[in-house]
Amino acid sequence: MTGQDLKTWRAKVARATVSWRFVVPALAVVLAINWMASTSTSTMMTEIMIMALFASSLNLLMSFGHMVSFGHAAYFGLGAYGFTLAVVRGGVPPELALAVGPLVAALGGLVFGALCVRLTQIYFAMLTLACAQITYTVLFQWYDFTGGDTGITGFMIPRFGLSEKGYATAVLAVVTLCLLALWGIVKSPLGLSIRAVGQDRYRAEALGLGARRVQLVAFVIAAFFAGVAGTLYSVLHGAAFPDYAGLGITLDGLIMVVIGGLNSFAGGIWGAIIYELLATFVSKVIHEWELVLGLILLAICLAAPAGFAGVSARLRAMLGGIR
Amino acid sequence: MMLRISDLRAAYGKAEVLHGIDLEVGLGEVVCLIGRNGVGKSSTMKSIVRDQIAVTGGEIIFDDRSLAGMRAHEVIRRGVGYVPEDRRVFASLSVLENLNVPRPVAAADRRRWTVDEVFRLFPQLHDYRHRKAGVMSGGEQQMLSIARSLLTCPKLLLLDEPHEGLAPKIAEEVVDAIVALKREGVSMIVSEQALNTIRRCADRVYVIDRGMTVWNGSVDGFYADPEITRKFLMVQ
Repeated sequence: MTGQDLKTWRAKVARATVSWRFVVPALAVVLAINWMASTSTSTMMTEIMIMALFASSLNLLMSFGHMVSFGHAAYFGLGAYGFTLAVVRGGVPPELALAVGPLVAALGGLVFGALCVRLTQIYFAMLTLACAQITYTVLFQWYDFTGGDTGITGFMIPRFGLSEKGYATAVLAVVTLCLLALWGIVKSPLGLSIRAVGQDRYRAEALGLGARRVQLVAFVIAAFFAGVAGTLYSVLHGAAFPDYAGLGITLDGLIMVVIGGLNSFAGGIWGAIIYELLATFVSKVIHEWELVLGLILLAICLAAPAGFAGVSARLRAMLGGIR
Repeated sequence: MMLRISDLRAAYGKAEVLHGIDLEVGLGEVVCLIGRNGVGKSSTMKSIVRDQIAVTGGEIIFDDRSLAGMRAHEVIRRGVGYVPEDRRVFASLSVLENLNVPRPVAAADRRRWTVDEVFRLFPQLHDYRHRKAGVMSGGEQQMLSIARSLLTCPKLLLLDEPHEGLAPKIAEEVVDAIVALKREGVSMIVSEQALNTIRRCADRVYVIDRGMTVWNGSVDGFYADPEITRKFLMVQ
């Protein structure tokens, strides 16, 4: 390695390094809340963390790859069912089956992604929707194998028998590692390729990048991490249901990304926190909490298209200017 | 011969825009394509790199191999660099990130450009390396676009109207860079309207009219015959 190569490599590593000033305090806050809060709050936090990972995987496609997927729940569902079926039908020990769920989701992403990346824009979105509906229908109808609409329950003790707080801590560790991996990917040369193809696939091709291949790799990565989220969710409830692959989960993810902020890595995380908190607390006050959600979405689309992350960045810039 | 195009035909959808282009570029040679707006200069370049145009006939041989059936990125990886007319920088990426997008192809017969070398060619880019490409001036974007294409390590560089829409001083800097590249031995096809640029850069000239090659010859031959300019370049 020449001196120049070493310099370039160091620069790449520096760019890919996460700002620990934000990560460490955030982890400390989550751990402290988990330690002090009730078990129901710990469960809610676990769901938030899982959905943050799911939304962040979708965010990789939407914000960086400019690929709007209407079927990302398919990989959440495949992760959940990959894990569950490996235990129930394959006789794989649950601890080992944890790895099966994400791999099944990634395989699904490879198969469906190869089909979807052949098209762009709305046609891409429609193909992702079609693939997700196929997945959902198979899970819903194949009673002998997937349990059909009743899903699969009772095959394991939820959370591997861990307490709510214990499982929340474990999920925090897994989700943190996954988000760091996603961050590393976004900041890596591959991430740069994903962003370049997302912005202008023709120009990226004219620079020697195989646009479809780059998009497919992004699709598989996103499917893998959605699969991790699905697996964690399945362990949380000790069950798997076809709805995990349904349109509702996809829409939740899309809303989270938009609320949290497109074009920002943190968008998926913020979106999941805001969405889940709204769903939990506003629904206690107003039965039609979706009405509030709709109004918030309307306000964001009209007044702050960069979402919460964009607003907070603007505030930080303003405060910096005042100082 | 580095590139040989014979009887090239190409279409956008059902509309055929090239009806028979013949063109040759030798090693280290700079060839200028000239002609009025809309006669097929850009389409010829797009056909070589398969950039959103369908080649419907003819043959393109590059480095002794046909480019038939190749996709754009495969053509680029074979050693063709392309700087489109509209530059198409990645607006939300920084200059440095734009320069890191191309994947250089390592080959013994290819000059391997580094980011430091393109910064030496275009010092302004080094000064603005952390700036978002979308907020740079047209001239700076053009320099970035050329620099980025060099990082694909091309044997042949296609430059489509490289100083279209640039201020005269900036345009002159871009032409200086083209001359510097020529000195480095980079083969180029330059689509050009400015006669001054042709005089400074070109070894040979091809005149294109209505999707066909209608004249080709040396730069001296081109200037020696004012009838060519009158017939094929002046607005009628």
